[in-house]
Amino acid sequence: MDFLKSIAIAASGLRAQAGRMRVISENIANADSTAPAAGGNPYQRKIPTFRSEIDRALDAQVVALGRVRTDTSDFRIKFEPSHPSADANGNVKYPNVNALIEMTDMREAQRSYEANINVIGATRRMIQRTIDILKA
Amino acid sequence: MGTGKAMPISNVSIFSMLRTKMQWHQERQRLLAENVANADTPKFRPRDLSPLKPDPARQATASVTLARTTPAHLAQSAAIAGAQFQLDRRGDFEVRPTGNAVSLEDEMLKVASNAMDFQAATALYTRGLGLIKTALGKR
Repeated sequence: MDFLKSIAIAASGLRAQAGRMRVISENIANADSTAPAAGGNPYQRKIPTFRSEIDRALDAQVVALGRVRTDTSDFRIKFEPSHPSADANGNVKYPNVNALIEMTDMREAQRSYEANINVIGATRRMIQRTIDILKA
Repeated sequence: MGTGKAMPISNVSIFSMLRTKMQWHQERQRLLAENVANADTPKFRPRDLSPLKPDPARQATASVTLARTTPAHLAQSAAIAGAQFQLDRRGDFEVRPTGNAVSLEDEMLKVASNAMDFQAATALYTRGLGLIKTALGKR
């Protein structure tokens, strides 16, 4: 049935957005994770990517989470000589996570998730209407 | 109806029309689901179906019907075989820097109107069945 395909496609969107939320929460949780050794690199921000792929069974373009890349922008550097991760000059590298960017990304993921839920709801109502013909 | 042959209900013109309409909405719902699922995919362009038009010529040529070797065979209705709907290649009104042109608000509106039109079609179908029941005589 074609309606079940619509639901499966929307479900692929839910899955992808949930994966994106996972990466975002990882970034926020590690916003202050410094390097384990003195002078080393701290946690590097991760960026989720999406790609659309043809699902042969569904005959439709579903969405999937692509490779999770790392953000190559500069780390935040703070002068804290007493910090265990400080290098010889007393500088500590903090992760390149910006809470504001993560928040906006999170809102976007939430919005897309809700949109997919909406499609599933509308499709469900359409199926229900079709079944209602039988009850007439 | 009075020929004595078996006749599927989809041969009644109102039912075959509604059937085509419902198939069109079903197909459109699939495309809209695709658009929403790929709302964050780079370089994805949304797709839609062009509006359903009354086009008897296309229905007659596009349909492939089963051969009927005896009159007792059921006649296949044109709506079943000729259900090929056309994609609408319209211009995207907003393309983001990633090359994605899906507007979630637009898609949500389309999903809602698609569901409502589908509901109208099923309601009409139900009424049509009610008419036939009335003609048969209620028990």
